[in-house]
Amino acid sequence: MTTLRIKGGRVIDPANAIDAERDVWIEDGRVIAGPSDPAARADRTIDASGYVVMPGGVDMHCHIAGSKVNAARAFRPEDKTGHIARTGHSRSGTTGSVPTTFATGYKYAGLGYTTAVDAAIAPFGARHAHHEFRDTPAIDKAFLVLMGNNHYVMDRIREGDRDRLRQYVAWLLNATGAYGVKAVNPGGVERWKEGHGNVSSLDQMVEGFGVTPRQILTELARAADDLAIPHPIHVHGPNLGLPGNFASTLETLAALDGHRAHLAHIQFHSYGGSLDKPGKIDSQVPILADYINTHRNLTVDVGQVVFGDTTSMTADGAVGQFLHSVTGRKWISQDIEQETGCGVVPITYENTNLVHALQWAIGLEWYLRVDDPWRIAMSTDHPNGGSFLAYPQIISYLMSRNHRDEALKALPDRVRARSGLADLSREYSLSEIAIITRAGPARMLGMTSKGHLGPGADGDVTIYAPSNDFQRMFSLPRFVIKSGHVVIDDGELRSPPDGTTLSVSPSYDESIVPDIAEWFDENASIRFANFAWQEGDAPSHFGSLP
Amino acid sequence: MPDADRTIADATCTACGCLCDDIVLTVSNHRIVAAEHACPIGAAWFLADHGPGDRPIATIEGQPATAEQALGRAAEILAKSRSPLIVGLTRTSLETQARAVAIADRLGAAIDPGDSGDSLPRWRAIQRVGIVSATLGEVKNRADVIVFWGVDPITTHPRHLERYSVGPRGRFVPEGRAGRTVVVVDVAPTATSAVADRFVRIVADEQGEVLATLRALVLGVEMPEAEDPVRELAETLKTARYGAFFFGPDLGRSRGGEAVVEDALKLVRDLNHATRFVALTLGGPGNPSGAEAVLTWQAGSPRAVDFSAGFPQFLPDDATAEAMLSQGRADAVLIVADDPTGFLSGEARAHLGRIPTIVIGPDATSRDATVALGSATMGIHSGGTIMRCDGATLPLRPALATTRPSDLEWLTDLERRLTEIPGEPRAISP
Ligand code: SF4
Ligand SMILES: [Zn+2]
Repeated sequence: MTTLRIKGGRVIDPANAIDAERDVWIEDGRVIAGPSDPAARADRTIDASGYVVMPGGVDMHCHIAGSKVNAARAFRPEDKTGHIARTGHSRSGTTGSVPTTFATGYKYAGLGYTTAVDAAIAPFGARHAHHEFRDTPAIDKAFLVLMGNNHYVMDRIREGDRDRLRQYVAWLLNATGAYGVKAVNPGGVERWKEGHGNVSSLDQMVEGFGVTPRQILTELARAADDLAIPHPIHVHGPNLGLPGNFASTLETLAALDGHRAHLAHIQFHSYGGSLDKPGKIDSQVPILADYINTHRNLTVDVGQVVFGDTTSMTADGAVGQFLHSVTGRKWISQDIEQETGCGVVPITYENTNLVHALQWAIGLEWYLRVDDPWRIAMSTDHPNGGSFLAYPQIISYLMSRNHRDEALKALPDRVRARSGLADLSREYSLSEIAIITRAGPARMLGMTSKGHLGPGADGDVTIYAPSNDFQRMFSLPRFVIKSGHVVIDDGELRSPPDGTTLSVSPSYDESIVPDIAEWFDENASIRFANFAWQEGDAPSHFGSLP
Repeated sequence: MPDADRTIADATCTACGCLCDDIVLTVSNHRIVAAEHACPIGAAWFLADHGPGDRPIATIEGQPATAEQALGRAAEILAKSRSPLIVGLTRTSLETQARAVAIADRLGAAIDPGDSGDSLPRWRAIQRVGIVSATLGEVKNRADVIVFWGVDPITTHPRHLERYSVGPRGRFVPEGRAGRTVVVVDVAPTATSAVADRFVRIVADEQGEVLATLRALVLGVEMPEAEDPVRELAETLKTARYGAFFFGPDLGRSRGGEAVVEDALKLVRDLNHATRFVALTLGGPGNPSGAEAVLTWQAGSPRAVDFSAGFPQFLPDDATAEAMLSQGRADAVLIVADDPTGFLSGEARAHLGRIPTIVIGPDATSRDATVALGSATMGIHSGGTIMRCDGATLPLRPALATTRPSDLEWLTDLERRLTEIPGEPRAISP
């Protein structure tokens, strides 16, 4: 038993309604109630008086592992803008918008984040993603598995077979070692893959399957609800990034009535204007945020854009093609069997570009217009809107209206006419920041041992030196503790633990498996028996060292 | 575990890039005696004698040694080296490859899996223009036009047509073979062209021009000089509902190198203005795609990575196996699970003969090496995970027992010894 006492800091633990000076005790990696004896001693004590103590950060929507991330790394040598050198206890790596696995873990930890969820892994790529997770230290990891363009799913929906759909969803979560269900442009990716173009409305038919995006969305939402998995359906709606898409976003929100749902990178889905008049693009956050404010079944993350070069990557193959055609930049596309596409295109967000500047403002509007911070999570949709390393910058815009207004001044004038950002005076408190960066996303994910510091919570803690320079404060935590181990001490990386991979295993009726196996063996290019990921996938061999 | 007579279903053959995972193996008396579903190449691989024979488990300077002695010497060589190189890595698992990259990181070594002459032109082209591609199951279910450009899968990947590209009935190709138009483009007729619907003969050194002409035609540019077969081919490509373009390493080795691959990738990309089209390779035997993937996720680039600065750098001109050896810059080499001598130049091989070499592989102790460590054979004795050229991963199902350590065990032990060797950590060049 090893104990760690974090003594005398200002503990900001909104999930337990705490903002007060007190101690946090960790025993064997978990938070415990402090001993009643005030003279009790811990194996190690960190004097946190004068510091701010928060639970470790939780990134609920990012892209850090698997085939699309790795494709981005391989095809962008020009993106290797930095590196991490090896030390006696840590590995080297490259940084840039798509860091290597070890660098990803260290950089998240360096930022005070201890959990990250990759939001889009194809079932076919699950095992690959687990291999990358094994090599992503210092943080706990999880992924959401793509189901919105899955042939088996669409066939069951057409047949109206809810029971088999639910069983399949449960089976697939188990077989892939996933944490939750993701739907990306439901039906639209399949339609695009087969050459019919993208969908423009929820009621368009998906050729060859006889289902509509609306049906896919609501039936998967129902299946996730019925299975009572901790995180509800995680939705990337249709028409991402297109002018005028707010209408289909509203349609999507309304379709989810009666279900729990999380809407991803909502910033990218909040544009006015129209496809014929793309120059008329403007912010439609007020109407959408109002919808979120009045519908408690829904949560969002933002997908904030930050200025600079980054890499867009999405399971929405149509979006990849769209970005390639508007930017003229190189393009990786990968159609993946049974389920999903994949598009990767470099993108540079410029503050002189009206659309980019507007996207930036729309993201900030979202944070400021959703009344309840528990229902909006910080994200850049890393690396789509920018790197997760930009979170401290975003925090400073949210905490300081001055800072925000300064940044707004540097943007094209028309941004002020097309976004109400300049009129918003709200400033986030430290406690609200703690909600949107850890307590809220943990709650949205249903990770009950994360995002708070009550007894039983994971011993994941970030200790900040308070400062009025919020960007600096959140960029350089004084200590970061993962599972009770100090991993960052004053910017220095200590020997980091591996972190664990979190997954769910809802039960299903075994009698459905032969049907899935038959379908799989007929349609896939690998055998059913070789599909499911298992913990024991690590090497097995009969030989041993003499 | 003793070898009882038994069968193993859903085993994966690693003898070519198809990585067929439907093989049913029968094991009897310590040998694989049947490999159902395997093609002749695959059957020959499975049924071969994979036993160590009378080869010693390890050698030093050609003399039998204990594992202990050999590992000690290997660690000493690597610890002393100022410019180590790690090569091979194609005939082993993702898990072993990951360990090898860890060792490269620790040593500050250059690492270059497989044959960069084969793969670098493709990667350089992808780094310039990207690639529009798909998994093989998408080809099976969707593709109505198949182009084999300069590849002859019937000879090199015998079950490719049957399993993935031509024969299978798919969701959107219910007629199977009858629903697909198969075109072979090559310098001479091949076994594959004999079963194709069309054969277009080209001159090897004119591939770039032909691809560029096709692209122009596809984009609607008038090309008065274009010959009829090329015109017809452009029409076939354009009218595909979902086309698949298979190419091989020869494209990058032809005149123009990576620019020719780039022409092919741009042709396929631009076909997507009007229809759907994807480009794929056939893949190599073993796990070369896995080596590239692991190196990418750990070090940021698929090959030719140099860790000597204390962090990974992609140095396509300087950190390939060929460049490190032919320019005399490597002073020790660790060769894992492959024999690179087949593709190295005379100069590179000559340098290899002058520096200490550590070889890990099933036949290591019968090869030239300063230290040889005999290992189990991947997919026969040792398991782990491998990756197909389209990114599919497969768990191996080893059928036979062996007394030999796996290459992963050798590397793990070697790495441990490297951490134990006293003295200064390797100097990091600024
Ligand atoms: S086609 Fe290739 S992988 Fe398949 S059985 Fe033959 S050699 Fe093995
Ligand atoms: Zn995303």
